[in-house]
Amino acid sequence: MTQEPNFEPKILGFLCRWCSYAGADLAGTSRKKYPANIRIIKIPCSGRIDPLLIIRALRNGFDGVLVSGCHPGDCHYQTGNYRARRRIAITKKFLEYMGIEPERLQASWVSASEGGKFAEVVAEITADLKKLGPNRLFNDK
Amino acid sequence: MTSKIEQKLRSVARELLEQGKVGTIVGYEAGSLKFTNTPLITKDKEAADRLVINPFIINNLSVFLKDIGGKVGVVAKGCDIRSIVSLIQDKQLARENVVIIGVPCAGIIDLDKIEKLMGKDRDELDDIVRENDKVIVTVQRSKKEYPAKDVLIDSCLACDQPKIKEYDILLDEEATVVCDDEASRSLIKKLEAMPPAQRWEFWKSQFERCIRCYACRQVCPACYCKRCFVEETEPAWISPLPKWQDNLIFQVTRMMHVAGRCTDCGACERACPVGIPLHSLSKKMAEIVQELFEYQAGTDKDALPLMAAYESKEAEDLIR
Amino acid sequence: MKKIKKQDIAKLLSQWQKDFTVFVPSKESGTAEMAVWDGKDAGFLDWYRNTVVPPKANFLQNMEKLFGFRKEGGSFKLETPPPETRKQLIFGIRPCDARAIAIIDMVFKDAYEDKYYLSRRQNSLLIGMGCVKPYDSCFCTSLGLGPAEAADVDIMLTDTGDEYLIEEITAKGKELLAKTSGAETASQTDENKAVAVKQAAYNKVTRKIDTKQIKQRLPDAFENKEFWEGVSAKCVSCGICTFLCPTCYCFDINDEMLKGDGARYRNWDSCSFPVYTKMPAENPREEKWKRVRQKVNHKYDFYPRLFNVIACTGCGRCIRQCPVNWDITQTLSGLPAGAPVTEKK
Repeated sequence: MTQEPNFEPKILGFLCRWCSYAGADLAGTSRKKYPANIRIIKIPCSGRIDPLLIIRALRNGFDGVLVSGCHPGDCHYQTGNYRARRRIAITKKFLEYMGIEPERLQASWVSASEGGKFAEVVAEITADLKKLGPNRLFNDK
Repeated sequence: MTSKIEQKLRSVARELLEQGKVGTIVGYEAGSLKFTNTPLITKDKEAADRLVINPFIINNLSVFLKDIGGKVGVVAKGCDIRSIVSLIQDKQLARENVVIIGVPCAGIIDLDKIEKLMGKDRDELDDIVRENDKVIVTVQRSKKEYPAKDVLIDSCLACDQPKIKEYDILLDEEATVVCDDEASRSLIKKLEAMPPAQRWEFWKSQFERCIRCYACRQVCPACYCKRCFVEETEPAWISPLPKWQDNLIFQVTRMMHVAGRCTDCGACERACPVGIPLHSLSKKMAEIVQELFEYQAGTDKDALPLMAAYESKEAEDLIR
Repeated sequence: MKKIKKQDIAKLLSQWQKDFTVFVPSKESGTAEMAVWDGKDAGFLDWYRNTVVPPKANFLQNMEKLFGFRKEGGSFKLETPPPETRKQLIFGIRPCDARAIAIIDMVFKDAYEDKYYLSRRQNSLLIGMGCVKPYDSCFCTSLGLGPAEAADVDIMLTDTGDEYLIEEITAKGKELLAKTSGAETASQTDENKAVAVKQAAYNKVTRKIDTKQIKQRLPDAFENKEFWEGVSAKCVSCGICTFLCPTCYCFDINDEMLKGDGARYRNWDSCSFPVYTKMPAENPREEKWKRVRQKVNHKYDFYPRLFNVIACTGCGRCIRQCPVNWDITQTLSGLPAGAPVTEKK
């Protein structure tokens, strides 16, 4: 892995509108500090996540992807996050087999009241990706 | 020369059509090339006499079922039956609309492997015969013998379901299957031992030659979407251009979309005209699904499909 | 006429490599196709019967950049790539594939001048190689050519056992051969040997179709839904037969844009795909039987009406590579006789 001292990873966050998105909001209104490396897309439920969205984000140059939804049992639609969990698990394992570092796909459960946890998650994955280095997977030779 | 099992199949198929139990029979007939069969889809009872069964029935005929209306009798090997069961689980097919004619299968012979071993193309060979755990190839009166596990299709080597459970008519007793899971996953093992970057390079080089003919998708019974994500234009999820990046994304996404429905029948790899080792993707996926959720595709028609089911506690270690 | 020993083929190729990008049959990528010669040897002669990917890919690439565009201020700046000036030499092209290129010429050269295609075509030399071992799927002899047809190449090689007989066909071929050393003058015995080889190869092509009968029956069968439904039932609508067909030239146009930089490409398309004819309000070939009918008719009826030649050279790829062994010769031979069928409502 090439160490790049000034590398700032770009992270795409898919956040459930009922919990993690509100959690991110809370992090902001509570003036919690977290790295500015994440760009957020609001999704209706973590169950909306298709593996295609994840791999497409990597294809388009993001260094990492975060999918964040409600804690198990708390899904606004009862079971969306359970389905997301199966899909994320499979995607993570399969992408790893293809040769994509597992750190590039991250997932978390963050509720609307966990502004602090959201800030921590973003800080952690930013640090992970800094260590890992930029995503050059889809670059041409 | 008609074998006993073929005779039985022909009379069964004729009877089903005559008695109106099915409107259409889907089976195999002799193809137009050596060691090649072709799907026979017919409503004509006379055509039943053209049905064949041999170690070269490579197609997974369940791919045709959803497009044929009415009741259909289908000739199916163990793996094809798993695809049918999977379609039933997904409510793409009603159990009462298919009459499953189960064929005991001892594994399909891989002509590509034979060509490689013999250094000759299939049309230059005179005969290929399976005898228990051996395959005997004849060229100009000289015979060459290979262990069956060296010349069977990779997916067949991983077959752990030779016993046919879901059927309406069973043509014969159990066939002897040569199982060799290690051989079936030899490429997977090689790849797993590599560092990720090297694995990525490997797959990249494979997808560089993909021509995006979509044969893999078209022969796949699990790919039943009316419109595939690659054909969406607004938004265009991936580029239709055959760049390796998008070729790879197409296949990886396809594999993830059929996770839990793909039975690793190997039809996609056999269809691929440029020889991309797709079985090493589908088998790996089957292993991941088994490992994470103890789920095996197409083995229980009453079970919820993998992606429709969940446990309250599972796979949590992958999530923060 | 000249000749050369088989073990000296690499010497020819290395001479030509100085002036041309030399393409030879290769399995290096994992599939048999024409690829740039590695400069080592002519090992491909041991296995080469034909490639899976036809040499049309050297002229009509499966993906070709037409022009680039970049956002500059409020508008776009276009960048047209310079015409292809690299010279390519395709070594070992089979007569069927060479004829196929001549057939595609009618669309890209005669009917309309396509500069991308033409720049490649004009900078190319075709070194043909007659077949001695046609596949069981080959049926070129029914289509006005044969395994030794030399009309569409610049130089033709015939395998006479340990040697190749070399025939110069065009002025371009003659010019190249004059600059090439290593080939000896062929004797009458060599030429006689080649004649026998060609005849033997011709006789080995046993798959036949009757083009006269097809010409008569195909238009009559156009509205015969029952016939087309029957023959198309097992087709899975993939793109193999069309993409790998040496005469299929259909393409799609796609723009791609990443980070302000974009390009317009054309890439192979196939009439086997339902989306090929999809339009906002309707799709005239939504049903599979109509697509199969289109493919067969385009080759055997529409193209002959336009250009007076059947757009099929009997290379047999569509039969060999088809995942369900859909066989065009069986469809053509099975065309019903008798009065034309009109559409039933």
